[in-house]
Amino acid sequence: MSEVPALALSVALVILTAAYARRLGIGKEISISGARALVQVLILASVILLLFDLPLYWSFLVLLVMAVVAGHTSYSRSGKLERTLPVAIVSIAIASLILLIPFFLLGVFPFEARYLVPTGSILIGNAMNVSSLSIDRYRGEIRNRRAEIEAYLALGAPPELAVADSLKQGLLSGLIPSIDNMKNLGLVWIPGVMTGMLLSGANPLDAASIQIAIFTAILASNLIASTLLLHFSTDSFFTKAAQLREDLD
Amino acid sequence: MSPLHLELRNVSKSILRKVNNSRVTTQVLSGLELEVQGGELITVMGPSGSGKSTLLRLINRLSEPDSGIITLNGKNTRDYDPLELRRKIGMVFQVPIVFRGSVRDNIALGMKLWGSYIDIEALARDTGIPEALLDADALPLSVGEKQRVCIARALANQPEVLLLDEPTSSLDAVTAEKVEGLLLGMRRERNLTVLWVTHDREQAKRIGGRKFMLRDGRLEEVHV
Repeated sequence: MSEVPALALSVALVILTAAYARRLGIGKEISISGARALVQVLILASVILLLFDLPLYWSFLVLLVMAVVAGHTSYSRSGKLERTLPVAIVSIAIASLILLIPFFLLGVFPFEARYLVPTGSILIGNAMNVSSLSIDRYRGEIRNRRAEIEAYLALGAPPELAVADSLKQGLLSGLIPSIDNMKNLGLVWIPGVMTGMLLSGANPLDAASIQIAIFTAILASNLIASTLLLHFSTDSFFTKAAQLREDLD
Repeated sequence: MSPLHLELRNVSKSILRKVNNSRVTTQVLSGLELEVQGGELITVMGPSGSGKSTLLRLINRLSEPDSGIITLNGKNTRDYDPLELRRKIGMVFQVPIVFRGSVRDNIALGMKLWGSYIDIEALARDTGIPEALLDADALPLSVGEKQRVCIARALANQPEVLLLDEPTSSLDAVTAEKVEGLLLGMRRERNLTVLWVTHDREQAKRIGGRKFMLRDGRLEEVHV
């Protein structure tokens, strides 16, 4: 029974960090974030516990809720462009689902809530981070390249061609952290899944195999989610008459 | 082919401007009227901020007027496919912007978009771009060379109307004179309909054609 000391350690660390961070003016923010994280994770643990005894579609429902929250976060990063909310939710959900399926089809994990929810949430969470980074950069690139984009449009080029370079930059900047993480996998840090498996007594080779499968799935789902989001949100930056919207600045 | 006819009737437009970090709506065009016949050269003068660039942007629908109607050959520009309209109405901007790739790639863009054939070498020659430069990277070119590429790129679309938004004002005096001469020569050779915006009264005199002053959001014909 290690949960009581673990939770006590977490509470103590949040209090100590917040106390120190008061000098930097972010003590309150750390206290609130720490308290939220603790409560949210405990609620999540209770939900997963409940899911063990419920039919599997409940697990998918929980993952869908996660995808909606993740999509909303990325949508906020887009400057709340119209039509981007459903695009963000669907992009993250589809990308995560596509990469989740092989884990269960190939028998890497048994098709149970215990495996489905954590693996799905890892993919959704990472897809959200990368989608948010990508759409934020994409929007910034479009704003900064207004003159270039309008020079394309003035020649009769379609918006997709006019923003092609901005889209590429958006995708790249979103994916660079994932690529760097993959480069340093095992060198600078032992990632979460492997750490968890090792702590619970798994064979290091098993832990490493699962970890690399999860890591490559994360990268692939990140790429799919951010590509879908940027591609299908392009129309939101333009009017129906293919004019770059004036209210982006 | 019926002769070209471009008309702006009672056109008004407000734009958002940033003043001291807040956005202010300014009415730049107000009940503007203009009629242009095929092959005409129209010179529009006016001080900075008077709405000259806005006027050109409305004609090829980079922006939408708040009210009023713009027609090309009797048809409301709103009823054209905007991409097709912009091919018919080319535009050269004050600050030349070339795209990633070679000079040839830049000029050939219209060909790729519309599947038409253009003799790129001949067009480069006509616009004063040396043949040796055609396969060079376009981004490091000088401002004057870039503006020539932009002119060639716009002409490669074979537009019916060419909008020139102070095309020489970002160039040094010598280059500006050459580009001005080039544009006037091209207009004569191709019988192009041209709307040329300039803040320079002396340039307006040299350009010729019908001259207008943009004042209080309207065009007044002037004789300078």
